[in-house]
Amino acid sequence: MDLVSNLALGFATAASPANLLFCLIGVLLGTLIGVLPGIGATATIAMLLPITFQLEPVSSLIMLAGIYYGAQYGGSTTAILINMPGESSSAVTAIDGYQMARKGRAGAALSIAALGSFFAGTVSTFLVAIFAIPLTALALQFGAAEYFSLMIVGLVSSIALAHGSIVKALAMVSLGLLLGLVGTDIYTGTPRFTLGIREYADGLNFVAVAVGVFGVAEILRNLEGEKTRSVLMAKVSGLWPTRDDFRRMVAPVLRGTAIGSALGILPGGGAILAAFASYTVEKRMSATPQEFGKGAIAGVAGPESANNAGAQTSFIPLLTLGIPANPVMALMVGAMIIQGIVPGPNVAVEQPALFWGIIASMWIGNLMLVVLNLPLIGLWVKLLTIPYYVLFPIIMAFCSIGVYSVNSNVYDLYAVAFFGLAGYLLVKLRCEPAPLLLGFVLGPLLEENLRRAMILSRGDPTTFVTRPISAILLLIALAVLVVVFLPSVKAKREEVFQEED
Amino acid sequence: MKMSKLTRRMALSAGLSLLSLLAVNAPALADGFPERQVTLVVPFAAGGSTDVVARIIAQKMSEDLGQQVIVQNVAGAGGNLGADNVARADADGYTILMGTVATHALNPLILKSTPYDAEKDFAPISLLVVVPNVLVVNPALPAKNVEELLALLKGAPDQYSYASSGNGTPLHLSGELFKSMAGVEMVHIPYKGAGPALNDVIANQVPIMFDNLPSSSGHIKAGTLRALAVTTKERAASFPDVPTVAESGIPGYETYTWNALFAPAGTPPEVIARLNQSANTALKDPAVAERMKEFSATIVGSTPEELGAHVKAEIAKWTPVVRDAKVQMD
Repeated sequence: MDLVSNLALGFATAASPANLLFCLIGVLLGTLIGVLPGIGATATIAMLLPITFQLEPVSSLIMLAGIYYGAQYGGSTTAILINMPGESSSAVTAIDGYQMARKGRAGAALSIAALGSFFAGTVSTFLVAIFAIPLTALALQFGAAEYFSLMIVGLVSSIALAHGSIVKALAMVSLGLLLGLVGTDIYTGTPRFTLGIREYADGLNFVAVAVGVFGVAEILRNLEGEKTRSVLMAKVSGLWPTRDDFRRMVAPVLRGTAIGSALGILPGGGAILAAFASYTVEKRMSATPQEFGKGAIAGVAGPESANNAGAQTSFIPLLTLGIPANPVMALMVGAMIIQGIVPGPNVAVEQPALFWGIIASMWIGNLMLVVLNLPLIGLWVKLLTIPYYVLFPIIMAFCSIGVYSVNSNVYDLYAVAFFGLAGYLLVKLRCEPAPLLLGFVLGPLLEENLRRAMILSRGDPTTFVTRPISAILLLIALAVLVVVFLPSVKAKREEVFQEED
Repeated sequence: MKMSKLTRRMALSAGLSLLSLLAVNAPALADGFPERQVTLVVPFAAGGSTDVVARIIAQKMSEDLGQQVIVQNVAGAGGNLGADNVARADADGYTILMGTVATHALNPLILKSTPYDAEKDFAPISLLVVVPNVLVVNPALPAKNVEELLALLKGAPDQYSYASSGNGTPLHLSGELFKSMAGVEMVHIPYKGAGPALNDVIANQVPIMFDNLPSSSGHIKAGTLRALAVTTKERAASFPDVPTVAESGIPGYETYTWNALFAPAGTPPEVIARLNQSANTALKDPAVAERMKEFSATIVGSTPEELGAHVKAEIAKWTPVVRDAKVQMD
């Protein structure tokens, strides 16, 4: 019964007029910055921190949280409409969402994304409320060895991400892994592949790489000829998903929610890994895997639910331990400290109104988002009718402002330009950018945890199989490998590949 | 790149001499300062302890100066990117740096080549606060105090590891200084920042850690971490029951993180004086004092000259530690 009284306290706190207003401001701002490519929640929250000085601690945290998950909603909008991920976690949505838009189904794709996100947000908010504390205990079981094995599962599964040649997919993953090495080696402090440029000492910026290989490359491709450009605005059929669409999105949304909730709890990975994982699973489970990459509904519904669920549950380590899972959470810790609240395991006990108020506000915020976003879909789709010669310079300008705002680092803009060209080249070579991004995300985590696990075990590699969770994860990876290379599946893959040619 | 740096330096020094001429003839220059917003560069990510100190101070300084003091996070290369930006900025007081023990003592010692000279390229404004570090362990570790930890480490050399926020950070060097002064062995496990390191110590993946007191304090109070000792000369006001490392059998041991304001070298003294006055006024504000106390930071404050001497003393203190710990980076 504790839960009921706690939730009642939470909703009473979150539903006060002032807090409702700040929640609304937060999700509105979040949607806005999510829609603007490149401008991330981190930069926005950093800019707004001084304003939160004047507010009540609960109100300020509710607003900041609203910005964060609002951005997750908004980020998918540009990913779907113009192949420009507004947030790093919506990079996966761009793969199939944009293809749906090109087929004139932008409205349906946006609705599916919004509804999937709302469902995932609702479920994961309740997960946070009910299981925050036991889930934290589970997340703490994950040491370096377990993270390494988890990344192996991700890497092995990534082969499923590509919908062409396995060789090309592997090449892209490897290239991504190599790009992930750029930066300072955390164990020795040696700069690697930075070309002597200090601005790359902390590695390449994920947003810059994603905006480059997805967005800028797509602009270049669209500028190639009048014919491809007009495809975008040619036919916009039906703003809403059909009954058949709904039927096909149910299972992916459920699976995406489960995957996102689980991965969100783990610090470091969170929403982006969840989206990739969900995409992989959906493609594996689909009866029609050949549709993926060409506008599969499951390819939008799954990852969108997963990234929103992950965004919500990544609050768990923050709320229960005071440990930030990602840079946005680090800012929230900063906001708490500025307000005189010491983050730690005692927050739930000492500040119940704050703790439960934030949780309740997440659900209210998600509701506001879906109410706000569904009517906006028509407006967003109209964007596509803007002539491309007007649209693309605007997109480029916002991208540049956004990417620069992340670190105030001009070298990030050079990275956008470089990866835009590289991405265009990859499209011409019929190589997929998604496995490259996955390799780029996984590479540093894989290396960091492999080496940490080996130092902790004093050089004994059996640590990966003697620790039970790690062993189970490695078995899963093995199973995926077997499935991929099983003769029958292989034959089916080749069949698919030939059809595509 | 070399060339542009050179011309930039020349232009800067030409500008400087002009400025100093003006300064002599027109002491009223500082009267108008500041005429527009002042940018306070924090060379670390938003949300960290340096950032929090900067934002609390910046808000009060804005009130005093009558112009906004904007915090800009230029994170990267262990603080060097932001520090270097300020070192090359116009020496007019409109771009200042939140310097730390890392940017002004450790990095120049650890790195084979630094982009800036911690003493020559900056004009000190004021020391702000000192933040203690703390030696924490997972509660499952049998050691209840520093003496027991030393016995444990001596009994099983190479068995124990300690976590830190990264290679060459103040927390890493606190650990290395501890090892060399006590004559014990622990394997260093670096992380990308204090957050993930703390996470692994709470989870008992790594049993021991040196951390900033503010980031650990919630866990010490909740019992998810056990504090063995603070690293300052005196006990921390927020944790009077936690002994110091020095009084626990390693006399003379002292490390801490400090935050101080710096302007680019050549900033007119009147401007420095105005900024110094504003910073020290902010430090005297009761609300700031309250925040800093909750944050376990000790307010110090200083004159520009005292900060200059402090930087010299810190470099002298860390030189042998860095040499003995053999932490050298490219």
